[in-house]
Amino acid sequence: MADPAKLELLNRSSNAGGFEIVQIDSLHAYSAYKPSRLSECDWEVTAQPKSADGTRQFVLRNLREDSYVLLNTREYFLWGYFDGRHSLEEIGRAFHLAFGAFDYLLIRQLLTKLYGCGLLEAKRLLDFQLNRGAMPDSHWGSRLRWKVMRWRAMSLRVPHADRLCSLIYRRGGFLLFHPITFWLSVGGAGCALVLALRFEQNASSFAYFLKARPWLMSGVMLATLISASILHVLVHALACKAHGRRVRELGFFLLHGVVPTFYADVTDIFMSSRRARITVDLAGPMVEVVLGSIAVLSAQAVSAALGQALLFGIGLALWESALLNLYPFNFLEMDGYNILADLTAMPMLRQQALAMIPHLYERLLNFKTLARAEWLQLGYLALCLISVTVYVIVHIDGLRTLIQLS
Amino acid sequence: MQLVAEFLKNVSFCQDLNEAARSKLAELLISKKISAGAVIFREFDDSDCLYIVRSGRIIISKHVQDQVDIVLTRFHTGDFFGEMGLFDTSPRSATAQTETDSVLLRLDRKAFQQIFSDEPEIAARICYRLVTVFIERLRATNDQAREAIRWGLEATGFSLAPEHSLFGRRST
Repeated sequence: MADPAKLELLNRSSNAGGFEIVQIDSLHAYSAYKPSRLSECDWEVTAQPKSADGTRQFVLRNLREDSYVLLNTREYFLWGYFDGRHSLEEIGRAFHLAFGAFDYLLIRQLLTKLYGCGLLEAKRLLDFQLNRGAMPDSHWGSRLRWKVMRWRAMSLRVPHADRLCSLIYRRGGFLLFHPITFWLSVGGAGCALVLALRFEQNASSFAYFLKARPWLMSGVMLATLISASILHVLVHALACKAHGRRVRELGFFLLHGVVPTFYADVTDIFMSSRRARITVDLAGPMVEVVLGSIAVLSAQAVSAALGQALLFGIGLALWESALLNLYPFNFLEMDGYNILADLTAMPMLRQQALAMIPHLYERLLNFKTLARAEWLQLGYLALCLISVTVYVIVHIDGLRTLIQLS
Repeated sequence: MQLVAEFLKNVSFCQDLNEAARSKLAELLISKKISAGAVIFREFDDSDCLYIVRSGRIIISKHVQDQVDIVLTRFHTGDFFGEMGLFDTSPRSATAQTETDSVLLRLDRKAFQQIFSDEPEIAARICYRLVTVFIERLRATNDQAREAIRWGLEATGFSLAPEHSLFGRRST
């Protein structure tokens, strides 16, 4: 809790000249405040599966603004009391009875979160509205943080993404999610894999043809990977539609402010089951698997050596892309990470693991007190570090060559 | 009168005055005893004088609602208040009330204007000190306004903390 703003009130009595001074601080005003949530038709809540530590989280959706917040069990308990009839003091007491302790900081952070999501009826205060998008104070740290935040929030979006996805889904997109399509894909991938193993003996001649035409090879590969990426996110979005949920956005952005990539915002799938979420996560990489398989199978049908080499190369690149996408331990929130987060029922696993880093040393000193969820976060961190280190070691020769060339 | 002149040494706006100037000023001051709880002036009363606290404690407040005022500040021995009344004919901006039995020294606007015409050097020294005090009080008011806003923001759940990032999943 911040330092209370000490204010004094002079309360006049009916006697001439009589008065009483009452000292108040923000905490008192705060305690008497009765937060009021939106009416029930303006929000929906879905319980998530139990996480590794046995707790349950809840996703709360604002239907008016189409925004979402993740609540833990304690926050969900508080949300139940934000009905405009209970003061924070009463809520605090109820919380104490239910959980054995209470800290006003928790309620304050929750209120900030809920106001940010527009889930509480906001009071117009001092006749001004907070401009949350405005530039912060002149302190360089705040400005830098603000700029990083804006940089990360930058994206190019397709207008009316949900309407577009619904249309594509109705006009044939639904066929992608038919069981026959799935088994055909698996069968095709199996055949392509067997074929790829047989092609292994031609690897050196394929490499020779591809090396001979580097520009053609790079151009075709780049175009294929970009097209596959677009299809990949579109299929994520269609999978979301297959479960009757809304696609909030389709577009292009910098993942974690660094990696340029296409994306589909499928947050609404959290209002559905875990199985639905994993289906949506897997649908994207299946595009690369299927396209890669088609490329490898086509390589068999093509007679020209260059065409065969190119198709085989594309097939392998697409499969590799699918594997990279499904690998969860690389600090990036890609499909594999999302599946891991869904399986562990820890949708904020990466953020929680990263938040653990500053306290890692002291937590490791007291490792006996680590909760199960913390072990998972620690495991995620360790595997990410190992993966990144191995990746660097494997590619060190390539890096050396690059440095020498420059 | 000599005692008053001696006392003025402790009053901030008289600190640049020599003994003779303080004696001249002391002659213009009117002493007044006021019992605890008495109202010296109310918000929106006509203003035409400044008060120096010779002894006691004065509470300055501004009306908020019904019988409730917000306390702006307190003045103690050697402090002065109501200085706006020396320059400005606008009504009082706040209410002044004694918290304990007090003795005040009153300087009327007419008397102050007389100093300006008769002793411009003394008037300039007083004004210079008064401006310094105005600045200090303006800063204090700014701080108090900021606190009041923060108080209101907290009470209604607003926070000026960095924006909370909303939950979401972008499949890539």
